[in-house]
Amino acid sequence: MSYYDIDSILTDAEKIPCTFQLDIPDLGYLDNTPKQPLKAGTKVNLPLWLAEMLVIANTGGPDNKTFVTFDLPRALGNDVVQALKADPRAVPLRDQSAHFYGLATHMMDLSEEQELGSVLRKTFVTRAAEISLHARKVGGVSTKGKGKEEGSNLGIGGAGEEFLRGLDEWERKLFRKAHDGAKSGKEWMDSIKKN
Amino acid sequence: MPMYGDQGNKLVQHAKRMQNLAHLPPYQTELVRAVTREVRDLDKDVASLLEPFQGSFDPSADQSTACTLLVNHLSMRRNKRCLLAYHRTRTNKLEELVWNGSDVLDLAGQQAGGGANGATAAADGGASSSLSPQEEDYVRQYGDLLAAYKGQWTDIDLTGSLEPPRDLFIDVRVLKDAGEIQTEYGAINLTKNSQFYVRQGDVERLIAQGYLQKLG
Repeated sequence: MSYYDIDSILTDAEKIPCTFQLDIPDLGYLDNTPKQPLKAGTKVNLPLWLAEMLVIANTGGPDNKTFVTFDLPRALGNDVVQALKADPRAVPLRDQSAHFYGLATHMMDLSEEQELGSVLRKTFVTRAAEISLHARKVGGVSTKGKGKEEGSNLGIGGAGEEFLRGLDEWERKLFRKAHDGAKSGKEWMDSIKKN
Repeated sequence: MPMYGDQGNKLVQHAKRMQNLAHLPPYQTELVRAVTREVRDLDKDVASLLEPFQGSFDPSADQSTACTLLVNHLSMRRNKRCLLAYHRTRTNKLEELVWNGSDVLDLAGQQAGGGANGATAAADGGASSSLSPQEEDYVRQYGDLLAAYKGQWTDIDLTGSLEPPRDLFIDVRVLKDAGEIQTEYGAINLTKNSQFYVRQGDVERLIAQGYLQKLG
């Protein structure tokens, strides 16, 4: 996660629901009312790069409040977590957030959700196995691609396609790596046999 | 709802798309300008917010101003990160192109010329390159650096292909006029669309630069 990392920058643009704890005259534009002050208790979706610091920063007042409080985004809400518990492979993470795991990691830094971590860990492990399975299969179709084999592979590929479409950005990278790795391994074996 | 940082985000999305492209898309002059303008506006806001306090601002006494300042500061910091990341992604790509031996400056001119027809190319004038002037400068100087570095080992071509050649001689077709070149077997005149059977070592550079195409 470098400063220049494009994916990490895009992850920071993911929005989370926040609630302002005090009136702020100049920030009305955040709630789409630039001329009016932002009232305490207003709910606004803020990008992580903004929310993260506002949630941590102390107002410095006697009551030790923070500027805003936040809720878990819908992508990590109870519905999604329950679905992940039931079957991690059945949830299209991408529909929740293109940077699902990145978002989740940030949220776990900010909140004390004990359960979330273990659910996500299990989710990733289960899905990673599935991803590697699909990655190898796709290689098979493109390199062999003839006769009966093609038919059977395409059949599985069709069902897998939906799963693959639901991969978040991190999983996509994993898929590409697994796919390229299997492919170059096969190419190398073939070239050894030829010579 | 337009918000501070939105323009910067667009810039980073451009960078993201760029990562999967073989060529370098046009420099986003307008977006870069919009983001820097945003930073300048934010800085002005901060200055005018702080002005009445005459350098003795107490955050705990004026919490809402403190919060506004924090939001402004974070927005500027965000924009800075987006700008730097965008430019770094591009320079990385440029360095890669220089190492591959492709003629970056020539390539940039060509793409722009090929994409736009005569009328728009004329309207764009000098700004038809997909590189910013600063990037052109960077490429030129990086190329000089690389040449100086390579000059230390005259018998090794550092940017040469890592693939061992299968054949000493290859068939090539000429894609653009490249003039006359000298080889061990005499001079060859490379005119467009002609075909030659030449020693691979003699023409490797020209293939990398896109003058010749390897056949077979």
